[in-house]
Amino acid sequence: MSDDIRTLLALALVFAPLSLLSIGGGASLLAEIEHQSVTIHAWTTQREFADLFAISRAAPGPGTMLSTLIGWKVAGLAGALTATVALYLPSSLLVYGAARLWGRWRGSVWHTAVERGLAPIAAGLILSGGIAVLRVSPGGPAVWAAAVASTALILRWPGLHPLALFATGGVLFGLADATGLW
Amino acid sequence: MRIPLRARAIEGKGVVAEVREAGAPRVARIKLPAIFAAFFRLGITSFGGGTAGWLYREIVERRHWIDDKEFLSGAALGRLMPGSGGVNLTVQVGHHLRGGPGALAAVFGLLSGPLAIVLALAVGYARIGQSAALDAVLDGVAAAAIGLTFATGLKLVQFKLASAGPLIVTLATTLCVGVLRWPMIPVVFGLAPISIGLALLNRRGRNV
Repeated sequence: MSDDIRTLLALALVFAPLSLLSIGGGASLLAEIEHQSVTIHAWTTQREFADLFAISRAAPGPGTMLSTLIGWKVAGLAGALTATVALYLPSSLLVYGAARLWGRWRGSVWHTAVERGLAPIAAGLILSGGIAVLRVSPGGPAVWAAAVASTALILRWPGLHPLALFATGGVLFGLADATGLW
Repeated sequence: MRIPLRARAIEGKGVVAEVREAGAPRVARIKLPAIFAAFFRLGITSFGGGTAGWLYREIVERRHWIDDKEFLSGAALGRLMPGSGGVNLTVQVGHHLRGGPGALAAVFGLLSGPLAIVLALAVGYARIGQSAALDAVLDGVAAAAIGLTFATGLKLVQFKLASAGPLIVTLATTLCVGVLRWPMIPVVFGLAPISIGLALLNRRGRNV
């Protein structure tokens, strides 16, 4: 077995089990990914890990692209693809199975009650997600204020395109930094 | 209640209408490229981890492919199961729209854009290095993105759950998970039976 294949296999063997352990979203995996990547496999240094984490936060998309970046660092494009598939495939298959099973009960009293009962919890979890991101954001009170303003604007004018709002936020903060406002 | 287009077409040819499979689309079959395109757009625009907020806007509000209830139950299940909540919700919506191929198209659409972007960023970052100005811009973008997440949660509270029971459940969830930072799984498993029980009790009073 060549070294390349061995490396790809090691990536898959690290990320595939994590896929099924990541209950509560990608953030719950951060500590374990760091441990595997820095201490056990020495794929990245501590510093490189912190940089890759910052890049993964800046990119769009769901959950963590951190595994993709570690795979890329270790084994280029093949590594990036291997790590991404390993992290997302097992959990996706599990959810797919659950969705199929769940679909069979559609229309029953229980299905309706469970859907209706889970709805307010999901709304609470979405709000909690916003609070969690706000908490880890390094920008401080300015970010809190801007987040509240952005919430109010979207609620007041639902047609407002979020990307326009994102761009405005980026430009305003960039200008504030350039002019030394804080 | 509309008759499924597929069933109508088959009846028109004088063939017995097939029974709709569980989870198959109820109105019209949405084409796989359309699913891929919608989720690709979602993937490259959902900054700040607010995939659920974007998905609500694009798939529920704009395209009406699924309704509020389906969105919320998918979001709840997506967060309870292992994996990224956004990807899990996408798998469920894709499956709901077009079964297995739909789920595959949706997930590939969602992930391919961000994958390319994050790699491009990594290459660029390796050349430029860190900068305070870039950090400030990213903070601004993040703040607006958080606003989108809050607005989605509040919209759902405001219009869809406007009775005391569900409202209290939403507040309790937000307080425990968001503010007090209790672990999500025990909180959800504690509140879910109460909330589902309330829904069962209220069943007769509402449209079923």
